[in-house]
Amino acid sequence: MNKLLEISNLHASIGGKEILKGVNLVINEGEVHAIMGPNGAGKSTLSAVLTGHPAYEVTEGEVWLRGENLLAMEPEVRARAGVFLSFQYPVEIPGVSMTNFMRTAVNEKRAYEGKEPLSPKEFLSLMREKKKLLELPDKLNNRSVNEGFSGGEKKKNEIFQMAMLEPRLAILDETDSGLDIDALRIVAEGVNRLKTPQNAAIVITHYQRLLDYIVPDFVHVLADGKIVKTGDKNLALELEEHGYESIA
Amino acid sequence: MDTRVLHKGEVFERVFVNEPEVDLHIVQEAGSRVKIGIVSNDLKQPQTTSNKITVEQAGEGCETEIYVLAFLRGDEQLTTETHVKHAVGGGKSNQLIKYVLDDNARGYFIGDLKIAPDAQKTEAHQTNKNLVLSETAQMRTRSQLEIYADDVQATHGASTGQLDEAALFYMQQRGIGKQKARQLLVNAFMQEILDLLSIDSVDGVIQ
Repeated sequence: MNKLLEISNLHASIGGKEILKGVNLVINEGEVHAIMGPNGAGKSTLSAVLTGHPAYEVTEGEVWLRGENLLAMEPEVRARAGVFLSFQYPVEIPGVSMTNFMRTAVNEKRAYEGKEPLSPKEFLSLMREKKKLLELPDKLNNRSVNEGFSGGEKKKNEIFQMAMLEPRLAILDETDSGLDIDALRIVAEGVNRLKTPQNAAIVITHYQRLLDYIVPDFVHVLADGKIVKTGDKNLALELEEHGYESIA
Repeated sequence: MDTRVLHKGEVFERVFVNEPEVDLHIVQEAGSRVKIGIVSNDLKQPQTTSNKITVEQAGEGCETEIYVLAFLRGDEQLTTETHVKHAVGGGKSNQLIKYVLDDNARGYFIGDLKIAPDAQKTEAHQTNKNLVLSETAQMRTRSQLEIYADDVQATHGASTGQLDEAALFYMQQRGIGKQKARQLLVNAFMQEILDLLSIDSVDGVIQ
């Protein structure tokens, strides 16, 4: 199996406060890893650091993406190299249409891969195809990015963007929060259909519920900035029953 | 100064693009309509300029729209002055003034809005929004509202901000380079005025 992502001894802080205190994690192609843990454990910090959010400072450790030094890359280069974050709180961008936003993103990635940009026709048919996957309405194209979207629409829109960009590593940060059961099913099915033997996913969640739909190969418990326990999907069930205190 | 009297029911619409020293004085008679746009994205010479629009609604039921968009860079300085007076009632006025300032640019907006005692049932709005892209650019706004009638709807507001960092990061996370992301946000900020003035393409006018 090919190694996709390798995190070793990762320490990171925000505003001088250390949040990650030595995270180690190896993710191979084709794997789904769930990361669970109590509030404040560092789950969202991990996704922010992997995507290069400027507010966080890496103080120690390394992260390699397919043999490349991920931490040395600008956020947009990480994205083009295949790292995708489904945001816990997707950002509204008034005045920038979904079409314009997505076409720019897709073509920037294609340029990075040495490919020609898509023609408007090719692009629109790709939009149409991927929207069906998430049961998103056609009118989406002309709306501003996430502006006025319901909570469920925002999360579907994240997975739609993931479908458009076909990342090697998808990080789903609390994608289940704020979703009703129907939206959860649609989002999870979308994620499952995008799974290939070459890509991988990190699923960050509080609850076992999402993992009924997106079945992980590994479950990690993150507590106080470190992975304190790793198991298979049964660990998630155990946590649901006994809580995090049983581990820490 | 160009003074113009609009007679009953007359319509005056004009968009000035990169014109220095616009100076308009308009008196509106009953039921006339005015729509003025000023778009400045390349002042060239002189680098310091000012535009002044004075409108007086002298008859009932007039409409006045004033839309200003300025994108200033380098050492450019632009002053926009608007003086809108509702002398009689039942009129409407709407003003939207937007500045984007980069480098060492200086922007000034001076806006007077007067509603005379007889101008009942007036609806008047004045909004100034500014986007500052550099540490050294500056915007100053002085807006003054004088209302002497009691049955009116009037609002005025001014805000100056920077590019939304969360939106920038979101776009970068989708693979959009930082410069391109900034450009998309700036264009989005300006688009509102271009829409109001029915100017189709941002690329054609602003880049």
